[in-house]
Amino acid sequence: MSRRVLILAERSENGVTDASYELIEAASRLAAGPDGVSAVLPVGDASEAEGLREVLPAAELLLVEGPAHAAPTADGTAAAVLHAREASGAECVLLPHDPVGWDVAPLVAARLRTAAATAVSALSWREDGLVARRSAFLGKFVQEVVAPGLPAVVTVERGALPAREPGPAVSVRILPSPVGPNDLRSRLVEVRDSGAGGVDLTAADVVVAAGRGLGGPENLDMVRELAAALGGVVGASRAVTDAGWLPHELQIGSSGATVSPKLYVACAISGAIQHLVGMRGSRFVVAINKDPDAPIFGAADVGIVGDALEVIPAVTEAVRNSG
Amino acid sequence: MNAVALVKQVPDRNSAFRPAGDWIDESSLGYGVNDYDRYAVEAALALKEAGHAAETVAVTAGPADAGQVLRSCLAMGVDRGVHLVTDRAHLADPFFVARALADAVSGLDAGVVFAGLLAEDSGHGQVGGLVAGLLGYAFASAATGLHFRNGRLEVHRELEGGRIAVVELRLPAVVAVQTGVNTPRYASLRGIMASRRKPVERVELAAPTDGAGLRRLTLSRPERGASAEILQGSPQEAAEALVPRMRAGAGISFPGDPA
Repeated sequence: MSRRVLILAERSENGVTDASYELIEAASRLAAGPDGVSAVLPVGDASEAEGLREVLPAAELLLVEGPAHAAPTADGTAAAVLHAREASGAECVLLPHDPVGWDVAPLVAARLRTAAATAVSALSWREDGLVARRSAFLGKFVQEVVAPGLPAVVTVERGALPAREPGPAVSVRILPSPVGPNDLRSRLVEVRDSGAGGVDLTAADVVVAAGRGLGGPENLDMVRELAAALGGVVGASRAVTDAGWLPHELQIGSSGATVSPKLYVACAISGAIQHLVGMRGSRFVVAINKDPDAPIFGAADVGIVGDALEVIPAVTEAVRNSG
Repeated sequence: MNAVALVKQVPDRNSAFRPAGDWIDESSLGYGVNDYDRYAVEAALALKEAGHAAETVAVTAGPADAGQVLRSCLAMGVDRGVHLVTDRAHLADPFFVARALADAVSGLDAGVVFAGLLAEDSGHGQVGGLVAGLLGYAFASAATGLHFRNGRLEVHRELEGGRIAVVELRLPAVVAVQTGVNTPRYASLRGIMASRRKPVERVELAAPTDGAGLRRLTLSRPERGASAEILQGSPQEAAEALVPRMRAGAGISFPGDPA
Protein backbone atom coordinates (compact mmCIF):
# COMPACT_ATOMS: atom_id res chain seq x y z
CA MET A 1 0.00 0.00 0.00
CA SER A 2 1.47 3.29 -1.03
CA ARG A 3 0.52 6.38 0.90
CA ARG A 4 1.53 9.98 0.43
CA VAL A 5 3.18 11.79 3.33
CA LEU A 6 3.81 15.53 3.52
CA ILE A 7 6.61 17.11 5.54
CA LEU A 8 7.18 20.73 6.47
CA ALA A 9 10.69 21.74 5.42
CA GLU A 10 12.36 24.55 7.33
CA ARG A 11 14.99 26.80 5.86
CA SER A 12 18.30 27.32 7.61
CA GLU A 13 21.09 29.77 6.84
CA ASN A 14 22.58 27.56 4.14
CA GLY A 15 19.78 25.28 2.98
CA VAL A 16 17.26 23.39 5.06
CA THR A 17 17.50 22.27 8.69
CA ASP A 18 18.75 18.87 9.85
CA ALA A 19 15.24 18.29 11.23
CA SER A 20 13.90 18.52 7.66
CA TYR A 21 16.13 15.61 6.59
CA GLU A 22 14.98 13.56 9.58
CA LEU A 23 11.36 14.24 8.61
CA ILE A 24 12.05 13.13 5.04
CA GLU A 25 13.52 9.88 6.39
CA ALA A 26 10.46 9.36 8.63
CA ALA A 27 8.12 10.15 5.73
CA SER A 28 9.99 7.88 3.37
CA ARG A 29 9.60 4.93 5.76
CA LEU A 30 5.92 5.71 6.30
CA ALA A 31 5.19 6.13 2.59
CA ALA A 32 7.11 2.92 1.76
CA GLY A 33 9.67 4.80 -0.31
CA PRO A 34 10.76 8.29 -1.33
CA ASP A 35 8.22 8.30 -4.20
CA GLY A 36 5.48 8.98 -1.67
CA VAL A 37 7.14 11.96 0.02
CA SER A 38 6.04 15.54 -0.59
CA ALA A 39 7.67 18.52 1.09
CA VAL A 40 6.11 21.94 1.58
CA LEU A 41 8.14 25.11 1.90
CA PRO A 42 6.29 28.41 2.40
CA VAL A 43 8.15 31.23 0.60
CA GLY A 44 7.63 34.93 0.06
CA ASP A 45 8.95 34.53 -3.47
CA ALA A 46 9.76 31.27 -5.25
CA SER A 47 13.16 32.63 -6.28
CA GLU A 48 14.22 32.32 -2.61
CA ALA A 49 14.04 28.55 -2.99
CA GLU A 50 16.45 28.57 -5.92
CA GLY A 51 19.01 25.88 -5.12
CA LEU A 52 16.88 24.24 -2.44
CA ARG A 53 15.34 21.86 -4.97
CA GLU A 54 18.81 20.38 -5.37
CA VAL A 55 19.07 19.42 -1.71
CA LEU A 56 15.51 18.35 -0.78
CA PRO A 57 15.18 14.66 -1.71
CA ALA A 58 11.37 14.50 -1.99
CA ALA A 59 9.28 13.25 -4.89
CA GLU A 60 7.55 16.59 -4.96
CA LEU A 61 8.54 19.97 -3.54
CA LEU A 62 5.58 22.28 -3.07
CA LEU A 63 6.47 25.95 -2.80
CA VAL A 64 3.53 27.86 -1.33
CA GLU A 65 4.29 31.36 -2.50
CA GLY A 66 2.99 34.71 -1.33
CA PRO A 67 3.89 37.81 0.70
CA ALA A 68 2.20 36.26 3.76
CA HIS A 69 5.17 33.89 3.96
CA ALA A 70 7.98 36.42 3.62
CA ALA A 71 8.38 36.10 7.41
CA PRO A 72 7.09 32.88 9.01
CA THR A 73 4.12 32.96 11.40
CA ALA A 74 2.09 30.21 13.07
CA ASP A 75 -1.11 30.85 11.17
CA GLY A 76 0.63 31.63 7.86
CA THR A 77 2.66 28.43 7.94
CA ALA A 78 -0.41 26.40 9.02
CA ALA A 79 -2.34 27.77 6.02
CA ALA A 80 0.53 26.83 3.68
CA VAL A 81 0.73 23.30 5.12
CA LEU A 82 -3.04 22.80 4.77
CA HIS A 83 -2.94 24.06 1.19
CA ALA A 84 -0.08 21.72 0.28
CA ARG A 85 -1.79 18.85 2.09
CA GLU A 86 -4.81 19.26 -0.11
CA ALA A 87 -2.76 19.67 -3.29
CA SER A 88 -0.69 16.56 -2.57
CA GLY A 89 -3.50 14.41 -1.18
CA ALA A 90 -1.20 13.41 1.69
CA GLU A 91 -2.72 11.17 4.36
CA CYS A 92 -0.18 12.21 6.96
CA VAL A 93 1.56 15.50 7.75
CA LEU A 94 4.90 15.41 9.59
CA LEU A 95 6.24 18.47 11.42
CA PRO A 96 9.29 18.89 13.66
CA HIS A 97 8.73 18.60 17.42
CA ASP A 98 10.26 22.00 18.07
CA PRO A 99 8.91 25.55 18.61
CA VAL A 100 7.83 25.68 14.94
CA GLY A 101 5.92 22.42 15.17
CA TRP A 102 4.38 23.38 18.53
CA ASP A 103 2.97 26.49 16.84
CA VAL A 104 1.84 24.98 13.57
CA ALA A 105 0.77 21.37 14.30
CA PRO A 106 -2.26 22.16 16.50
CA LEU A 107 -3.53 24.80 14.05
CA VAL A 108 -3.28 22.29 11.19
CA ALA A 109 -4.86 19.53 13.31
CA ALA A 110 -7.77 21.74 14.39
CA ARG A 111 -8.63 22.50 10.77
CA LEU A 112 -8.50 18.78 9.97
CA ARG A 113 -10.80 18.14 12.99
CA THR A 114 -8.29 15.96 14.80
CA ALA A 115 -5.50 16.06 17.36
CA ALA A 116 -1.82 15.81 16.51
CA ALA A 117 0.34 12.96 17.77
CA THR A 118 3.26 14.86 19.31
CA ALA A 119 6.77 14.07 20.60
CA VAL A 120 6.81 11.02 18.34
CA SER A 121 9.82 8.73 17.87
CA ALA A 122 8.35 5.98 15.64
CA LEU A 123 5.37 5.56 13.32
CA SER A 124 3.58 2.65 11.67
CA TRP A 125 0.31 2.01 9.89
CA ARG A 126 -2.24 -0.52 10.98
CA GLU A 127 -5.76 -1.23 9.82
CA ASP A 128 -7.51 1.36 11.96
CA GLY A 129 -5.07 4.21 11.49
CA LEU A 130 -1.61 5.52 12.23
CA VAL A 131 0.18 4.26 15.34
CA ALA A 132 2.61 6.69 16.97
CA ARG A 133 5.17 5.94 19.66
CA ARG A 134 5.62 9.04 21.80
CA SER A 135 7.04 10.39 25.00
CA ALA A 136 4.72 10.99 28.00
CA PHE A 137 5.09 12.00 31.66
CA LEU A 138 8.01 14.32 30.85
CA GLY A 139 9.95 11.44 29.30
CA LYS A 140 9.34 8.96 32.12
CA PHE A 141 7.16 6.74 29.93
CA VAL A 142 6.78 5.76 26.30
CA GLN A 143 3.21 5.78 25.04
CA GLU A 144 1.63 4.33 21.93
CA VAL A 145 -1.45 6.06 20.54
CA VAL A 146 -3.48 5.48 17.41
CA ALA A 147 -4.80 8.31 15.26
CA PRO A 148 -7.84 6.72 13.66
CA GLY A 149 -8.85 9.61 11.43
CA LEU A 150 -6.83 10.46 8.31
CA PRO A 151 -5.15 12.69 7.43
CA ALA A 152 -3.04 12.40 10.57
CA VAL A 153 -0.83 15.17 11.97
CA VAL A 154 2.44 14.27 13.74
CA THR A 155 5.36 16.11 15.35
CA VAL A 156 8.58 14.06 15.27
CA GLU A 157 11.26 14.29 17.97
CA ARG A 158 14.69 15.47 16.87
CA GLY A 159 17.20 12.66 16.57
CA ALA A 160 14.58 9.90 16.63
CA LEU A 161 15.52 8.91 13.10
CA PRO A 162 18.68 9.35 11.04
CA ALA A 163 18.75 12.28 8.64
CA ARG A 164 18.33 11.45 4.96
CA GLU A 165 21.18 12.49 2.70
CA PRO A 166 20.57 15.67 0.68
CA GLY A 167 19.52 15.08 -2.92
CA PRO A 168 17.41 16.71 -5.61
CA ALA A 169 13.61 16.92 -5.55
CA VAL A 170 12.06 15.01 -8.45
CA SER A 171 9.56 17.77 -9.25
CA VAL A 172 8.74 21.27 -8.06
CA ARG A 173 5.32 22.89 -8.02
CA ILE A 174 4.63 26.49 -7.15
CA LEU A 175 1.27 27.04 -5.46
CA PRO A 176 -0.03 30.59 -4.96
CA SER A 177 -0.69 31.05 -1.25
CA PRO A 178 -4.33 30.92 -0.14
CA VAL A 179 -3.67 33.69 2.40
CA GLY A 180 -2.48 37.28 2.21
CA PRO A 181 -0.68 39.22 4.96
CA ASN A 182 -3.98 40.83 6.04
CA ASP A 183 -5.57 37.43 6.62
CA LEU A 184 -3.06 36.60 9.32
CA ARG A 185 -3.61 37.25 13.01
CA SER A 186 0.07 37.14 13.89
CA ARG A 187 3.16 38.95 12.65
CA LEU A 188 6.85 38.17 13.17
CA VAL A 189 8.47 41.35 14.46
CA GLU A 190 12.05 40.05 14.72
CA VAL A 191 14.27 37.12 15.61
CA ARG A 192 17.15 37.87 17.92
CA ASP A 193 19.87 36.14 19.83
CA SER A 194 18.97 35.70 23.48
CA GLY A 195 22.59 35.11 24.45
CA ALA A 196 21.56 31.63 25.60
CA GLY A 197 23.74 29.89 23.00
CA GLY A 198 26.66 30.54 25.36
CA VAL A 199 30.01 29.82 23.71
CA ASP A 200 31.71 28.58 26.88
CA LEU A 201 29.15 25.85 27.34
CA THR A 202 29.20 24.66 23.75
CA ALA A 203 33.01 24.74 23.48
CA ALA A 204 33.69 22.99 26.81
CA ASP A 205 35.27 19.52 26.94
CA VAL A 206 33.58 18.77 30.23
CA VAL A 207 30.10 19.87 31.32
CA VAL A 208 28.71 19.17 34.78
CA ALA A 209 24.98 19.86 34.72
CA ALA A 210 22.86 20.64 37.77
CA GLY A 211 19.26 19.47 38.11
CA ARG A 212 16.27 20.25 40.29
CA GLY A 213 16.96 17.16 42.41
CA LEU A 214 19.77 19.04 44.13
CA GLY A 215 17.06 20.63 46.23
CA GLY A 216 18.21 24.24 46.25
CA PRO A 217 20.80 26.76 45.09
CA GLU A 218 22.75 26.26 48.31
CA ASN A 219 23.86 22.87 46.93
CA LEU A 220 25.32 24.24 43.70
CA ASP A 221 28.76 24.73 45.23
CA MET A 222 29.44 21.00 45.21
CA VAL A 223 28.58 20.94 41.51
CA ARG A 224 31.01 23.81 40.90
CA GLU A 225 33.71 21.94 42.82
CA LEU A 226 33.20 18.80 40.75
CA ALA A 227 33.34 20.87 37.56
CA ALA A 228 36.60 22.47 38.75
CA ALA A 229 38.14 19.08 39.60
CA LEU A 230 37.23 17.79 36.13
CA GLY A 231 38.38 20.97 34.38
CA GLY A 232 34.87 21.67 33.14
CA VAL A 233 32.05 24.18 33.28
CA VAL A 234 28.66 24.13 35.02
CA GLY A 235 25.43 23.83 33.03
CA ALA A 236 21.84 23.33 34.15
CA SER A 237 18.48 21.82 33.36
CA ARG A 238 15.54 24.03 32.53
CA ALA A 239 14.01 23.54 35.99
CA VAL A 240 17.13 24.98 37.60
CA THR A 241 17.32 28.09 35.42
CA ASP A 242 13.56 28.67 35.67
CA ALA A 243 13.87 28.56 39.44
CA GLY A 244 16.56 31.23 39.21
CA TRP A 245 19.32 29.11 40.79
CA LEU A 246 21.51 29.68 37.72
CA PRO A 247 21.21 32.12 34.78
CA HIS A 248 19.26 31.09 31.66
CA GLU A 249 22.44 31.19 29.56
CA LEU A 250 23.50 27.97 31.27
CA GLN A 251 20.42 25.99 30.29
CA ILE A 252 21.07 22.87 28.23
CA GLY A 253 18.25 21.47 26.10
CA SER A 254 16.01 22.06 23.14
CA SER A 255 15.18 25.58 24.30
CA GLY A 256 18.72 26.37 25.43
CA ALA A 257 22.24 25.40 24.48
CA THR A 258 23.17 22.25 22.59
CA VAL A 259 26.41 20.80 23.93
CA SER A 260 28.65 17.99 22.72
CA PRO A 261 31.47 17.71 25.27
CA LYS A 262 33.77 14.75 25.71
CA LEU A 263 32.39 14.25 29.22
CA TYR A 264 28.90 15.11 30.44
CA VAL A 265 27.96 14.60 34.09
CA ALA A 266 24.23 14.95 34.86
CA CYS A 267 23.70 15.64 38.57
CA ALA A 268 20.17 15.04 39.88
CA ILE A 269 18.67 15.56 36.42
CA SER A 270 15.76 13.23 35.59
CA GLY A 271 16.30 13.57 31.85
CA ALA A 272 13.22 15.06 30.21
CA ILE A 273 13.43 14.61 26.45
CA GLN A 274 13.94 18.37 26.01
CA HIS A 275 17.10 18.09 28.08
CA LEU A 276 18.36 14.94 26.35
CA VAL A 277 18.11 16.65 22.97
CA GLY A 278 20.60 19.25 24.18
CA MET A 279 23.29 16.79 25.36
CA ARG A 280 22.83 13.90 22.96
CA GLY A 281 26.10 14.64 21.17
CA SER A 282 28.22 14.08 24.29
CA ARG A 283 30.96 11.43 23.98
CA PHE A 284 30.70 9.97 27.50
CA VAL A 285 27.74 10.53 29.81
CA VAL A 286 27.61 9.98 33.57
CA ALA A 287 24.28 10.16 35.41
CA ILE A 288 23.83 10.59 39.15
CA ASN A 289 20.23 10.28 40.35
CA LYS A 290 18.35 8.75 43.24
CA ASP A 291 15.54 7.43 41.03
CA PRO A 292 16.69 4.24 39.26
CA ASP A 293 13.90 4.70 36.71
CA ALA A 294 14.98 8.23 35.73
CA PRO A 295 15.18 8.48 31.92
CA ILE A 296 18.67 10.03 32.18
CA PHE A 297 20.06 6.52 32.87
CA GLY A 298 18.81 5.53 29.44
CA ALA A 299 21.00 8.21 27.89
CA ALA A 300 24.06 7.54 30.08
CA ASP A 301 27.12 5.33 29.68
CA VAL A 302 27.62 4.98 33.41
CA GLY A 303 25.22 5.70 36.26
CA ILE A 304 25.28 5.94 40.02
CA VAL A 305 21.93 5.46 41.76
CA GLY A 306 22.05 7.45 44.97
CA ASP A 307 21.62 10.76 46.72
CA ALA A 308 23.45 13.33 44.58
CA LEU A 309 24.34 15.32 47.68
CA GLU A 310 26.42 12.36 48.89
CA VAL A 311 27.66 11.06 45.55
CA ILE A 312 28.89 14.36 44.05
CA PRO A 313 31.42 15.17 46.83
CA ALA A 314 32.58 11.54 46.72
CA VAL A 315 33.25 11.79 42.98
CA THR A 316 35.08 15.11 43.43
CA GLU A 317 37.25 13.52 46.09
CA ALA A 318 37.95 10.45 43.97
CA VAL A 319 38.93 12.60 40.98
CA ARG A 320 41.30 14.69 43.11
CA ASN A 321 42.92 11.59 44.58
CA SER A 322 43.35 9.91 41.22
CA GLY A 323 45.84 12.32 39.71
CA MET B 1 -12.73 41.67 27.57
CA ASN B 2 -11.58 38.93 29.93
CA ALA B 3 -8.39 36.98 30.58
CA VAL B 4 -8.90 33.21 30.58
CA ALA B 5 -6.56 30.50 31.89
CA LEU B 6 -6.93 26.87 30.81
CA VAL B 7 -5.84 24.53 33.59
CA LYS B 8 -5.53 20.78 34.00
CA GLN B 9 -5.57 18.56 37.05
CA VAL B 10 -2.58 16.19 36.89
CA PRO B 11 -1.09 13.58 39.24
CA ASP B 12 1.48 14.96 41.65
CA ARG B 13 4.81 14.78 39.82
CA ASN B 14 6.59 13.17 42.76
CA SER B 15 4.23 10.19 42.81
CA ALA B 16 5.55 6.70 42.15
CA PHE B 17 3.91 6.11 38.76
CA ARG B 18 3.23 2.57 37.56
CA PRO B 19 2.02 1.74 34.06
CA ALA B 20 -1.31 -0.13 34.14
CA GLY B 21 -3.18 -1.09 30.98
CA ASP B 22 -3.05 1.78 28.49
CA TRP B 23 -2.30 4.38 31.20
CA ILE B 24 -1.00 4.56 34.76
CA ASP B 25 -2.38 3.02 37.94
CA GLU B 26 -4.48 5.93 39.23
CA SER B 27 -5.35 4.50 42.64
CA SER B 28 -3.77 6.32 45.58
CA LEU B 29 -2.40 9.24 43.55
CA GLY B 30 -2.41 12.83 44.75
CA TYR B 31 -3.53 15.46 42.26
CA GLY B 32 -2.86 19.15 41.76
CA VAL B 33 -2.60 21.95 39.20
CA ASN B 34 -0.33 21.18 36.22
CA ASP B 35 2.84 23.17 36.90
CA TYR B 36 2.89 24.88 33.47
CA ASP B 37 -0.70 26.04 34.03
CA ARG B 38 0.25 27.97 37.18
CA TYR B 39 2.22 30.28 34.88
CA ALA B 40 -0.86 30.63 32.66
CA VAL B 41 -2.94 31.63 35.69
CA GLU B 42 -0.31 34.16 36.78
CA ALA B 43 -0.28 35.65 33.26
CA ALA B 44 -4.07 36.08 33.35
CA LEU B 45 -3.95 37.74 36.77
CA ALA B 46 -1.16 40.07 35.65
CA LEU B 47 -3.13 41.09 32.55
CA LYS B 48 -6.09 42.10 34.70
CA GLU B 49 -3.89 43.91 37.21
CA ALA B 50 -2.34 45.90 34.35
CA GLY B 51 -5.84 47.07 33.42
CA HIS B 52 -6.14 45.04 30.21
CA ALA B 53 -8.83 42.60 31.35
CA ALA B 54 -12.09 43.10 33.23
CA GLU B 55 -12.25 39.67 34.76
CA THR B 56 -10.15 36.51 35.06
CA VAL B 57 -11.70 33.10 34.43
CA ALA B 58 -10.14 29.64 34.90
CA VAL B 59 -11.52 26.74 32.86
CA THR B 60 -10.81 23.05 33.36
CA ALA B 61 -12.11 19.77 31.94
CA GLY B 62 -12.02 16.79 34.24
CA PRO B 63 -13.81 14.58 36.75
CA ALA B 64 -15.73 15.87 39.77
CA ASP B 65 -12.61 16.16 41.95
CA ALA B 66 -10.87 18.31 39.32
CA GLY B 67 -12.85 21.17 40.86
CA GLN B 68 -9.95 21.34 43.34
CA VAL B 69 -7.67 22.90 40.69
CA LEU B 70 -10.24 25.62 40.06
CA ARG B 71 -10.32 26.32 43.82
CA SER B 72 -6.52 26.68 43.72
CA CYS B 73 -6.84 29.19 40.87
CA LEU B 74 -9.54 31.14 42.71
CA ALA B 75 -7.32 31.23 45.81
CA MET B 76 -4.51 32.70 43.67
CA GLY B 77 -6.92 35.51 42.74
CA VAL B 78 -8.88 34.32 39.69
CA ASP B 79 -12.44 35.72 39.74
CA ARG B 80 -14.45 32.67 38.67
CA GLY B 81 -14.20 29.14 37.36
CA VAL B 82 -15.82 26.95 34.72
CA HIS B 83 -15.68 23.18 35.29
CA LEU B 84 -16.42 20.97 32.30
CA VAL B 85 -17.24 17.72 34.02
CA THR B 86 -16.19 14.53 32.25
CA ASP B 87 -14.63 11.14 33.03
CA ARG B 88 -10.87 11.20 33.50
CA ALA B 89 -10.57 8.58 30.74
CA HIS B 90 -12.08 11.02 28.22
CA LEU B 91 -9.09 13.34 28.70
CA ALA B 92 -7.10 10.84 26.61
CA ASP B 93 -8.08 12.65 23.41
CA PRO B 94 -6.74 16.23 23.19
CA PHE B 95 -9.25 17.00 20.43
CA PHE B 96 -12.21 16.12 22.64
CA VAL B 97 -10.80 18.28 25.45
CA ALA B 98 -9.96 21.19 23.15
CA ARG B 99 -13.40 21.17 21.53
CA ALA B 100 -15.09 21.33 24.93
CA LEU B 101 -12.74 24.10 26.10
CA ALA B 102 -13.26 26.05 22.87
CA ASP B 103 -17.04 25.88 23.33
CA ALA B 104 -16.69 27.23 26.86
CA VAL B 105 -14.16 29.93 25.90
CA SER B 106 -16.36 31.19 23.05
CA GLY B 107 -18.89 32.40 25.65
CA LEU B 108 -16.39 34.15 27.92
CA ASP B 109 -15.60 37.35 25.96
CA ALA B 110 -11.96 36.31 26.03
CA GLY B 111 -9.28 38.78 24.92
CA VAL B 112 -6.37 36.52 25.78
CA VAL B 113 -6.53 32.83 26.65
CA PHE B 114 -3.46 31.49 28.45
CA ALA B 115 -2.57 27.80 28.53
CA GLY B 116 0.45 25.91 29.83
CA LEU B 117 2.80 24.70 27.08
CA LEU B 118 2.07 21.09 28.00
CA ALA B 119 0.54 18.85 30.66
CA GLU B 120 3.00 16.98 32.83
CA ASP B 121 1.11 13.70 32.42
CA SER B 122 0.03 13.24 28.80
CA GLY B 123 2.41 15.88 27.42
CA HIS B 124 0.51 16.39 24.16
CA GLY B 125 1.36 20.10 24.26
CA GLN B 126 -1.35 21.22 21.88
CA VAL B 127 -4.64 21.93 23.65
CA GLY B 128 -4.04 25.70 23.58
CA GLY B 129 -3.24 25.59 19.86
CA LEU B 130 -6.24 23.41 19.09
CA VAL B 131 -8.52 25.87 20.92
CA ALA B 132 -7.01 28.72 18.90
CA GLY B 133 -7.45 26.78 15.66
CA LEU B 134 -11.06 25.85 16.45
CA LEU B 135 -11.98 29.45 17.35
CA GLY B 136 -9.89 31.18 14.67
CA TYR B 137 -7.89 33.05 17.33
CA ALA B 138 -4.24 34.05 16.95
CA PHE B 139 -1.78 31.63 18.56
CA ALA B 140 1.76 31.50 19.90
CA SER B 141 3.41 28.67 21.84
CA ALA B 142 6.48 28.52 24.08
CA ALA B 143 6.02 32.08 25.34
CA THR B 144 8.78 33.33 27.64
CA GLY B 145 7.78 37.00 27.62
CA LEU B 146 4.47 38.88 27.34
CA HIS B 147 3.97 42.59 26.64
CA PHE B 148 0.67 44.31 26.01
CA ARG B 149 0.87 47.25 23.59
CA ASN B 150 -1.80 49.24 21.73
CA GLY B 151 -4.42 46.54 21.97
CA ARG B 152 -2.05 43.86 20.70
CA LEU B 153 -0.05 41.28 22.52
CA GLU B 154 3.69 41.01 21.93
CA VAL B 155 4.96 37.53 22.71
CA HIS B 156 8.58 36.46 23.05
CA ARG B 157 9.00 32.86 21.95
CA GLU B 158 11.96 30.60 22.52
CA LEU B 159 13.38 29.11 19.35
CA GLU B 160 16.11 26.50 19.16
CA GLY B 161 19.71 27.48 19.53
CA GLY B 162 19.03 30.23 22.05
CA ARG B 163 17.19 32.54 19.65
CA ILE B 164 14.09 34.52 20.56
CA ALA B 165 11.26 35.33 18.14
CA VAL B 166 9.21 38.43 18.86
CA VAL B 167 5.65 37.91 17.58
CA GLU B 168 2.74 40.32 17.59
CA LEU B 169 -0.76 38.84 17.97
CA ARG B 170 -4.12 40.41 17.19
CA LEU B 171 -6.75 39.74 19.81
CA PRO B 172 -8.42 37.51 20.68
CA ALA B 173 -5.41 35.25 21.05
CA VAL B 174 -4.31 32.05 22.74
CA VAL B 175 -0.81 31.90 24.24
CA ALA B 176 0.81 28.69 25.49
CA VAL B 177 3.37 29.70 28.11
CA GLN B 178 6.70 28.18 29.12
CA THR B 179 7.60 27.78 32.75
CA GLY B 180 9.67 30.82 33.70
CA VAL B 181 7.51 33.31 31.75
CA ASN B 182 6.65 34.87 35.14
CA THR B 183 6.73 33.97 38.82
CA PRO B 184 3.42 32.39 39.85
CA ARG B 185 2.11 33.78 43.13
CA TYR B 186 1.15 31.63 46.07
CA ALA B 187 -2.36 31.78 47.46
CA SER B 188 -2.59 33.99 50.52
CA LEU B 189 -4.73 33.04 53.49
CA ARG B 190 -7.02 35.88 52.51
CA GLY B 191 -7.14 34.58 48.96
CA ILE B 192 -8.07 31.13 50.20
CA MET B 193 -10.87 32.57 52.36
CA ALA B 194 -12.15 34.74 49.50
CA SER B 195 -12.07 31.82 47.04
CA ARG B 196 -14.88 30.08 48.92
CA ARG B 197 -17.34 32.76 47.87
CA LYS B 198 -16.29 32.82 44.23
CA PRO B 199 -18.55 31.16 41.64
CA VAL B 200 -17.75 27.97 39.75
CA GLU B 201 -20.05 27.04 36.90
CA ARG B 202 -20.37 23.30 36.25
CA VAL B 203 -21.16 21.98 32.78
CA GLU B 204 -21.66 18.25 32.19
CA LEU B 205 -19.99 17.15 28.97
CA ALA B 206 -21.51 14.47 26.75
CA ALA B 207 -19.22 11.47 26.23
CA PRO B 208 -17.14 11.60 23.04
CA THR B 209 -18.79 9.68 20.22
CA ASP B 210 -16.88 10.19 16.99
CA GLY B 211 -13.34 9.19 18.00
CA ALA B 212 -11.90 12.02 15.92
CA GLY B 213 -8.61 12.48 17.74
CA LEU B 214 -6.26 10.08 19.52
CA ARG B 215 -6.81 6.78 21.33
CA ARG B 216 -4.41 5.33 23.91
CA LEU B 217 -2.88 1.92 23.17
CA THR B 218 0.00 1.25 25.55
CA LEU B 219 2.19 2.89 28.19
CA SER B 220 5.57 1.51 29.24
CA ARG B 221 8.92 2.46 30.66
CA PRO B 222 11.48 3.52 28.08
CA GLU B 223 14.14 0.97 27.24
CA ARG B 224 17.44 1.62 28.90
CA GLY B 225 20.38 2.52 26.72
CA ALA B 226 22.23 -0.71 26.09
CA SER B 227 25.51 0.77 27.33
CA ALA B 228 24.31 2.16 30.68
CA GLU B 229 26.30 0.51 33.45
CA ILE B 230 25.12 1.13 37.03
CA LEU B 231 27.97 1.29 39.55
CA GLN B 232 27.25 -0.41 42.86
CA GLY B 233 28.44 0.11 46.41
CA SER B 234 28.71 3.08 48.73
CA PRO B 235 29.01 6.58 47.25
CA GLN B 236 32.78 6.38 47.79
CA GLU B 237 33.10 2.93 46.17
CA ALA B 238 30.94 3.95 43.22
CA ALA B 239 32.90 7.20 42.84
CA GLU B 240 36.22 5.34 42.79
CA ALA B 241 34.90 2.92 40.17
CA LEU B 242 33.64 5.87 38.13
CA VAL B 243 36.88 7.83 37.73
CA PRO B 244 38.80 5.37 35.50
CA ARG B 245 35.69 4.88 33.35
CA MET B 246 35.38 8.65 32.87
CA ARG B 247 39.02 8.92 31.87
CA ALA B 248 38.79 6.09 29.35
CA GLY B 249 35.34 6.94 28.01
CA ALA B 250 35.93 10.65 27.55
CA GLY B 251 39.60 10.29 26.63
CA ILE B 252 40.71 13.31 28.62
CA SER B 253 42.95 14.14 31.57
CA PHE B 254 41.90 16.17 34.59
CA PRO B 255 43.50 19.32 36.06
CA GLY B 256 44.95 17.42 39.04
CA ASP B 257 46.75 14.91 36.80
CA PRO B 258 50.56 15.01 36.71
CA ALA B 259 51.70 17.00 33.71
